Amino acid sequence: MSNSLATAITAPGGALRRSAAERAAMWLGDRGTLVTGLVLAVLILGFSLLGPYLYTASPYAIHGHHALQGPSATFPLGTDQIGRNELARLIAGGYATLIVSIPAAILTFGLGIVYGLAAALSPSWIDKVLMRVLDAILALPGLVVLIFFSALFQPGNFELILLLGLTSWPGLARIVRNEAIAQRNRDFILATRQFGGGTWYVARVHILRVMAPILVVNATFLVGDMVLALSGLSFLGLGVQPPYTSWGGLLQTGLNLIALDPWWMILPAGLMIFLSIMAANLIGQGLLARFGAAR
Amino acid sequence: MSTVLSLEHLSVALKRGRGRPISVLDDISLTVNAGEMTALVGESGSGKTIASLGVIRLLPRSAEITGKVMLAGTDLAALTESQMRKVRGRDIGMVFQNPLSALNPTTRVGNQIAEVYRLHTGESDRAARARARELLGEVGIPDPAERLDDYPHQFSGGMRQRVMIAMALACSPKLLIADEPTTGLDLLVARQILTLLSRLRREHSMGVLFITHDLSIVEEHADQVHVLYAGKSVEWGGARSFFAQPRHPYSQALLGAVPRLGQARLASIPGNLPDPESRPPGCRFAPRCAFREPACETAYPAPDTTGGTIFACRRAREINPAALLDAVTPEAAPAAPVNRATALEVTALGVDYERTATSFIQGVLGRKDKMRALEDISFTLGQGECLGIVGQSGSGKSTLGRAVLQMIPYQGHVILNGEAFDAMPRAQRKPARRRIQVVFQDPKESMNPRMRIGDIIAEPLKLAGIRSKRARVDQTVALLDRVGLSDRMINLFPGSVSGGQAQRIAIARALATNPGIIVLDEPTSSLDVSTQALLLNLLKDLARQDGLSYILISHDIAAVSYMADRIAVLNGGRMVEFGAAQEVLTSPRNAYTRELIAASPHFRTNQPGGALDIMEFLPSTAQPSAV
Repeated sequence: MSNSLATAITAPGGALRRSAAERAAMWLGDRGTLVTGLVLAVLILGFSLLGPYLYTASPYAIHGHHALQGPSATFPLGTDQIGRNELARLIAGGYATLIVSIPAAILTFGLGIVYGLAAALSPSWIDKVLMRVLDAILALPGLVVLIFFSALFQPGNFELILLLGLTSWPGLARIVRNEAIAQRNRDFILATRQFGGGTWYVARVHILRVMAPILVVNATFLVGDMVLALSGLSFLGLGVQPPYTSWGGLLQTGLNLIALDPWWMILPAGLMIFLSIMAANLIGQGLLARFGAAR
Repeated sequence: MSTVLSLEHLSVALKRGRGRPISVLDDISLTVNAGEMTALVGESGSGKTIASLGVIRLLPRSAEITGKVMLAGTDLAALTESQMRKVRGRDIGMVFQNPLSALNPTTRVGNQIAEVYRLHTGESDRAARARARELLGEVGIPDPAERLDDYPHQFSGGMRQRVMIAMALACSPKLLIADEPTTGLDLLVARQILTLLSRLRREHSMGVLFITHDLSIVEEHADQVHVLYAGKSVEWGGARSFFAQPRHPYSQALLGAVPRLGQARLASIPGNLPDPESRPPGCRFAPRCAFREPACETAYPAPDTTGGTIFACRRAREINPAALLDAVTPEAAPAAPVNRATALEVTALGVDYERTATSFIQGVLGRKDKMRALEDISFTLGQGECLGIVGQSGSGKSTLGRAVLQMIPYQGHVILNGEAFDAMPRAQRKPARRRIQVVFQDPKESMNPRMRIGDIIAEPLKLAGIRSKRARVDQTVALLDRVGLSDRMINLFPGSVSGGQAQRIAIARALATNPGIIVLDEPTSSLDVSTQALLLNLLKDLARQDGLSYILISHDIAAVSYMADRIAVLNGGRMVEFGAAQEVLTSPRNAYTRELIAASPHFRTNQPGGALDIMEFLPSTAQPSAV
């Protein structure tokens, strides 16, 4: 209510004039969630991608005398059961996790959009066929399929990206299709068709543009999903393979030794998974609120 | 006559963000008497809705309110929130513009009405249900007992508004606030709603505060009129004296802007509503007023109480009403030589709509019901001609427009410049379609909200194969100029322009492909009356200059009569009347046409110019049908 009233009174003249400081304060005030998410994401990305250059200790070198030691000056996050530097491994694990999760999210994103748009803009019988296929794929439990395939062949990074990407798109495809159907008979689409705009022109220039908020938000959630799925796989020993590691793999190693109470092997990896998913979700929520207000 | 509601020097200022409060309503005083209707009239941004929210105390917490709101002797400002909650719905009934969003779509209407009654009276379910049935009957819904268990979507727009009124009446309130209850409804239905409100207020001696932007609709029903402009009262008083002779230039222009049967040119108001943050210190209407003098711009004029109505204008006494109307009525553009070659021919056009079968078994079997939306429509459209298509919602008029535009499948033929679309090879159909363009009812809905105005207008140019960006920009600027907009618009998004400006942009875009024909689908029915007048005048000028042909689709026969050379009346998917506009208006053969004419605002006899009073030759037997 207050929102529409506020627009009602300022509509004829346009924006209010405010000082730069006031504007910055308002910008932040509205965007707490988004900014927190972005700061967190930058920290995690910096940690994982720049970390290897700043903290050059090897994640693979075995320090036999220092096996399973708690945090110390030499090993800030302690060592694992065979004496490898846990901080270096956390950084390497982050790198391995993100290098798979982000491309997998992009792949999912592209597949979902293309499939969804194709269904929405095709004649209705093709739409029906595509949607039944989608139902069939959705009926398969995603994680089980993932486990099946990763058990079948030992996946490298590229295969993991393909696996995660190819199994995760149906949800997004359905969202895109439903949204595109809601948009496709709006007056501005009809007007564009009257000017001679074809189906793919309409999809590209209009439908994608109107859906942009939903897509951006979903993209951020997808990154979070991928980190979680990959961590899950690695936790089960099916993701990133030794000697390389990922956050999920680190967590698994730590939990195997839980009887020895090596909290430094469990807490940091768990925290990183938690924080990166939270960052993705905060960004998604923040963007959603922003776009929601703009609508 | 007892006073139900009185606003005494009510002012409202709203805060936005951390800024200083902005005055949106400035020193309004008005009264509503028992059994009477007070019309609060103003265009978008006038503050009329703020005033109604001020009465029921639903303004945002940050609003600064001064002045008094007295309901039957109680000062509403002194009540606590929980006392106020009891007043809303019990002492004050409310009816809003969009009944579909005001009713809960998942609850049966009988239960919704009963709920209000039960909440405020504490009566039993059975008594509440009986009351709901009684109310539905009272607001003129046939078979109330059977319709109690229907859902809102099973009612037509007019019937939904009646349900809303039944809800508002549930506890026999002293005051009914109706905020634009007829906007968005067909004129026939709107008139019926007003007649209903008038009957109810008399029977229950209830005061009605009727908020509207359309003066013409309250002409026959209001007892008092109060005109707002930019948050200030400009003229108020008894409806009889107001409609006999409005004194304020704004009231005059507002009345002159309503298309009436037989009118040659609409009055229009140049310029825009002042920004609430930079309102002129003097008379707020002065910047747009044809009669302003330097003194108008420095101090707000004191109300003049010597005549029939009270008005805040220092010059109204000296101005001759005839000169006033002339001053706000712009000259028509010179006409292009008329060349009545046939631009479009439609023969035996029919459209079927499929809808999913209603029964479950049929749905499972994939059977579809066919519904005939249009049947056997034939007409020709000459070059430079405007054909008006008139009918109520559901008459098939928009379907006809869409068939002509080739947006939906149809039977029969649509022949453009001698070539039928169905006989054209596929490759030719696309360029042929470009020759017929469309302007929709809701201009904002007809533009991608995430595209800049410049790109929106340039899009058809791009699709028509103009590759050079420079050329596209030049043409866009030229198009904006043709519809009377500045090229500063280019970088704005549709969300930041007004409704009237948005509709001009839509027209500019339609003109971009240089079409011979434009289908105008209710082009002005979402706009304020003064904006509508400007737009209709613009469309008329464009047609005269370029020999454009229009198919104008509207439920408002007066607006159509202002534009159209010939008029076709649709009812239930069939053309029930077709002929020269003058002929259809003066000697309608069909009873339905007569009803439509009877529902539209009429040319007033006391207006200067001495035009015919169309009422003279209207049959007096026109009976309003059930909605």
